[in-house]
Amino acid sequence: MAKSNINQSLLQFAPMQSSVDEGFWHKFSSFKLNKLGIDDSPIPITGFYAPCSHPRVSNYLTLLAESLPSESSEASLIPEPSHGNRNRCSVPGILYNTNTVESFTALDIQNLLKKEAKKIWDDIQSGRAVEDCSVLSRFLVISFADLKKWSFHYWFAFPALMLDPPATLVNLSPASQWLSIEEAESLSAACNEWRGSKSTADIPFFLVTIDPNSRATVRLLKDWEACQSDDHKILFGFYDPCHLPNNPGWPLRNLLALISSKWNLKSVQFFCYRENRGFADMSLSLVGEALITVPQGCKDAMPNAVGWELNNKGKKGPRRISLAQSMDPTRLAVSAA
Amino acid sequence: MVLSQKLHEAFKGTVERITGPRTVSAFKEKGVLSVSEFIIAGDNLVAKCPTWSWESGEPSKRKPYLPSEKQFLITRNVPCLRRAASIEEEYEAAGGEVLLDDEDNDGWLATHGKPKETKSDEDEDLPSMESLEISKSSSIKQNSSHTGGEDDDDIPDMAEFSEYDNIIETDPSTYLVAHEPDDDNILRTRTYDISITYDKYYQTPRVWLTGYDESRMLLQPELVLEDVSQDHARKTVTIEDHPHLPGKHASIHPCRHGAVMKKIIDVLMSRGVEPEVDKYLFLFLKFMASVIPTIEYDYTMDFDLGSSSN
Repeated sequence: MAKSNINQSLLQFAPMQSSVDEGFWHKFSSFKLNKLGIDDSPIPITGFYAPCSHPRVSNYLTLLAESLPSESSEASLIPEPSHGNRNRCSVPGILYNTNTVESFTALDIQNLLKKEAKKIWDDIQSGRAVEDCSVLSRFLVISFADLKKWSFHYWFAFPALMLDPPATLVNLSPASQWLSIEEAESLSAACNEWRGSKSTADIPFFLVTIDPNSRATVRLLKDWEACQSDDHKILFGFYDPCHLPNNPGWPLRNLLALISSKWNLKSVQFFCYRENRGFADMSLSLVGEALITVPQGCKDAMPNAVGWELNNKGKKGPRRISLAQSMDPTRLAVSAA
Repeated sequence: MVLSQKLHEAFKGTVERITGPRTVSAFKEKGVLSVSEFIIAGDNLVAKCPTWSWESGEPSKRKPYLPSEKQFLITRNVPCLRRAASIEEEYEAAGGEVLLDDEDNDGWLATHGKPKETKSDEDEDLPSMESLEISKSSSIKQNSSHTGGEDDDDIPDMAEFSEYDNIIETDPSTYLVAHEPDDDNILRTRTYDISITYDKYYQTPRVWLTGYDESRMLLQPELVLEDVSQDHARKTVTIEDHPHLPGKHASIHPCRHGAVMKKIIDVLMSRGVEPEVDKYLFLFLKFMASVIPTIEYDYTMDFDLGSSSN
């Protein structure tokens, strides 16, 4: 059943990629002018992602106008997350916007990444990440919004806790090959039900148990202790935004950190859940087995983190977008004349 | 924007303000939708093709006649692997049977121009398209996204004066995805956010396109025209304000949607299929596929279009 095509190779994860909707920058500009002024304190924002839904393109972590807190609510700066939208799993993030180019380039980006990674680590240690797995993925954005030129410089990071030494891969194959036909059918149905229910549609990390009668069940992470049973197969599942056939996506990294730190497992079977046209697809989804060896004594120390995104030139560095065409009143006047 | 288009916009806006939304069904007679039928058809699309979802858009732009959480439909990150201009021939082959156009091929007319009697050259005063000479042979330019133009380059790219390379993270567990080679002959994978709004004036759905390049940077709306069938790019696609979102977006103008949908419905009925209104958007999206043939959005047709039993 299990196909061991890659022997003891390093487990390599495809980085999360960002996408910013034009509406985000419009709303941010108005937010900056009407509410923030020159206040450059970090702003809590929400990013959205969904499982990969096409065999040729990965999904992105997307910022929309709704990612920002409401301008009117004086009470809180926390954006209200919308729940139950299967195409919008919320990821908590933070935006550091600076008022000048100089302060942008002076940001201590290593330290900012570490700060977000620490939140993830603390939530793993406290058990909060098991209760509410949406805090297992986090992101940060640094930006310089040049509102006079309608030009925005920005850079995303998706902090991932590093395992040291790195996890190795025993095998990785399409779920349709790893599972029996009955199991694959049952798991497909269970996943579609999970994704179709408003209460679970946007929960991106989960457990899959398969009983000896090939019946698959999808459960919450916090049920891990409860579903220990010798004759059940257990897979750790996550919504995989990545479409690549030989690499799991980025969210698995922090899940493995949690599994290693919290449950002390040495061998982890994971399930990269992917869809085609909005429905579970077991030939695009992957099942793999990772080996984790964390030396004793290093367990309580916070691991290092990585995750700055490459820009559109393929380098580590900020991206830039100019929205003068849709925001500059003089240009708008010309095009309307 | 030419004057005739401005005038038409003003006229349309006034009519929309003073007339109530359609409440009586004229789906089979005119190929149009009432507001409640749009909701029914949208709910069915979301249920059958879950990559689509309802959104509420900008609060200030909400339409009072639509439920606040069901203002428009959207599907994001839809792949577009080839430029439409490069597959015109395939379109010709597939378009005929989808469009259900008559022999004169006049199912489509100039956006706001006078109705044309014959299919003349694609010229005339096609609103807001004058400057957009996109020829079939034009290659995809490097600077196709909003990453910067000639006139706003006074701020250098920060990556160039910052020492970010010093902090390159050494992590053997990161898989670096190979970039598509820099070769103009290779058509890059673009992605699209496609939204469907309800056009109260024409009483039909209306499609809006937001394009992104292969690194998910926003495309200029003009470049979106490369992914529109070239027959339509200069006639029926305009760049306008989105009714629920900020910014200018490319839109397929709905002035002939009702008539074409009516033809599709007539053909189905002549085959003994009684189309149901909740299937409207599936028919509509299949018809849209002739305009944007390379954008791979979902519109499953693997089920019965209507009931032929009664």
